[in-house]
Amino acid sequence: MTAAPAQAPARPLRAGRPRPVLPGRLLRLELRRNAMLWVLPVAAALFWLITYRKSMALPPLWNVRAMSMQSSALAVFVSPTVGAAAWMGSREGTARPRWARQLATWAATTCWAMVAYVGCVGVLYAVTARQAAWGGPLWWPAAVGAASLPAFSAVGFVAGTVFPSRFTAPLVAVAAFVGLAFSTLPIRGSQSYWQVSPVVAGAWDFGANGGVGTFYHYLPDLPIAQVMFMAGLTAVVLGGLGLRAGSGGRWLRRSAAAITAAGLLAAGTAAGLAGTGRLDAHGMIAIPALHDAANDSPIRYTPVCSHAAIPVCLNPAYTSYLPPVTAALEPALSQVAGLPGAPVRISQAATTYRQGSGNDISSGMAGPSMSGRPPRFHLVLPDQLLGPTMTTSELAAEIRSNVGQDILADVIGVGPGASPAQQAVMAALLKGAAVPQSASSAPGTRQPNTASQLPAPVRSAARRFAALPAAVRHAWLTQHLAALRAGRVSLAQLP
Amino acid sequence: MTVGAARKPPHEAVPDSEARPRLPGLRLVCLHAVGRRVPTALAGVVACAVALRIALHWHWDSYGALQLPLVFETGCATAIAISTASPFGDPERATGRWLPFLRLGVALVLTAAAVGALAAAGTGAHLAGGSLDVLRNVAGLTGIGLLCAAALGGARAWVGPTAYMVVAAYGLYTDWHGPALTTPWIWPARPPHDVGAAICAGLVFAAGTVILMVRGTRDPVGE
Repeated sequence: MTAAPAQAPARPLRAGRPRPVLPGRLLRLELRRNAMLWVLPVAAALFWLITYRKSMALPPLWNVRAMSMQSSALAVFVSPTVGAAAWMGSREGTARPRWARQLATWAATTCWAMVAYVGCVGVLYAVTARQAAWGGPLWWPAAVGAASLPAFSAVGFVAGTVFPSRFTAPLVAVAAFVGLAFSTLPIRGSQSYWQVSPVVAGAWDFGANGGVGTFYHYLPDLPIAQVMFMAGLTAVVLGGLGLRAGSGGRWLRRSAAAITAAGLLAAGTAAGLAGTGRLDAHGMIAIPALHDAANDSPIRYTPVCSHAAIPVCLNPAYTSYLPPVTAALEPALSQVAGLPGAPVRISQAATTYRQGSGNDISSGMAGPSMSGRPPRFHLVLPDQLLGPTMTTSELAAEIRSNVGQDILADVIGVGPGASPAQQAVMAALLKGAAVPQSASSAPGTRQPNTASQLPAPVRSAARRFAALPAAVRHAWLTQHLAALRAGRVSLAQLP
Repeated sequence: MTVGAARKPPHEAVPDSEARPRLPGLRLVCLHAVGRRVPTALAGVVACAVALRIALHWHWDSYGALQLPLVFETGCATAIAISTASPFGDPERATGRWLPFLRLGVALVLTAAAVGALAAAGTGAHLAGGSLDVLRNVAGLTGIGLLCAAALGGARAWVGPTAYMVVAAYGLYTDWHGPALTTPWIWPARPPHDVGAAICAGLVFAAGTVILMVRGTRDPVGE
């Protein structure tokens, strides 16, 4: 080293108060040294394993995938976010107690968590947009998750600040997961305050159901309350941090007190609003104070239809269901096509829901299955009803047996007081359509007597009628269906 | 102090019993345990057991009852994994060849304590899966924690068990809402007598203890 560089005039250090670090620069510094960066790959891997794979296994319906995503994405992100924030808080707790600097660390942790969340949800929504036949993304489930991350981060950060130890991060990460997962346990019915938990994406114990948010608008009532609650929780926790001694000057602590009070008010109001919710007929939680009556009107759509003698028409969101549903119904429809009183169209109907005791919910179709002139047959797909999501083959089998039977029963007029001739014709047509007669019925469907339960004369007449060529059967039915439906045909009169 | 006193040889200034402890091995073990915050980890294990015992008094639905032990098993595993690192590095290196055995001993003792404490907490109550489940899950989760401690450092060792807890909870969830994840690598979702799951958990635990024993944790001094 020569003497020249050493003697180079250095910028004089300014005496007096140190120059404050600008918030933007402070945030950049915190972003660079943040522990959440280490945890991002873990959160992304968990999202892929749990949320993405599960969503891709579900039908490409926006409502089903978005509502399923809300719950599982939060379960995925809560532990990494809380743990990383607590880790950062443990560092800050011993080094820099000033509130403004602590907020910068919290903000940096939240930023990284948000980047990961937005990226993961963005990929899921982009893939769904390519697969979904109709509709658009539901933003409210994503917004609930986005509003929850700052709260998670705040809880972890404050825990780490108050109890600066390397044991704090895992403790609060596990505790936060437990708290979130078990926050739904006290929910009983649709009027529960606990619905404000962000993992609740609709009526509880219901799951992501295809019948919700397709025929009627997705109601933002509960998500609004949840976003309000999480924002309030964030304010309470961060404001509380500013109340500690040494966090700043008097005006800063007063601001923190005001923020805490506002947060408490928001969180309490949100929980109170969630407690006033009720399950509406379309399967969503409606909160009177937040409800927009315009959302009660059905969504207008142009159905997609098959090109058959009796077309099968579905909501365009269910376009991918059309080929298997058409194929499943074709045998039954071919038996009745052209008969007087046969449906001219099979139309998909909306599901209606009713809250039972506790968390019991029943679902079904409102109104009769056959209505109008010329008659139309209305069906609800098994995926619209409560129960596990079905594979395509399971769905087709269910439709073939239950809906196929219902269509034939409606045309023949088979009901509780059906005549022996009607029962015989029904059994013959079921055999002709190869519809299994022992399948379990879906809720709300009728189940005619199976062939083995019929009296011997009826079984004999059914065998005789089924043995006729299809054209002969069809011609006889065309002539005698009205009399058969009226109960004026005896077994002996059957060909 | 006078100059004469200062010139006295050290062995005269310090009593012999203090200069050379009677049980140097025990003292080394104690110092190692304190340096790794083993008492805090043990307190964490006991707290998990007490919390599990209290929680088992409540009524849980089937799914909650299955998840409950997993949560406390994870808590114990993270406490054990974190206790592998010292903020002062590994001063025991000066003792020669004992450090790997100290690491192994601490990990084994804490794991055994966690299994014993959780199993005791479940005695007389309905602990889903029973003690065998606790043994398998705690061993496997601890193995993940030890592997993370070796790879990421003791302070970050909690990331592995915590992330695995989320995966395992999802595995349990898929037992109810299929398609079920049946891989034995997600052992908490398998029945207690599942041999494949026990082997996987055992392998992970063995790998964790061996790597920790040989390599130690990846911790910069002072973190």
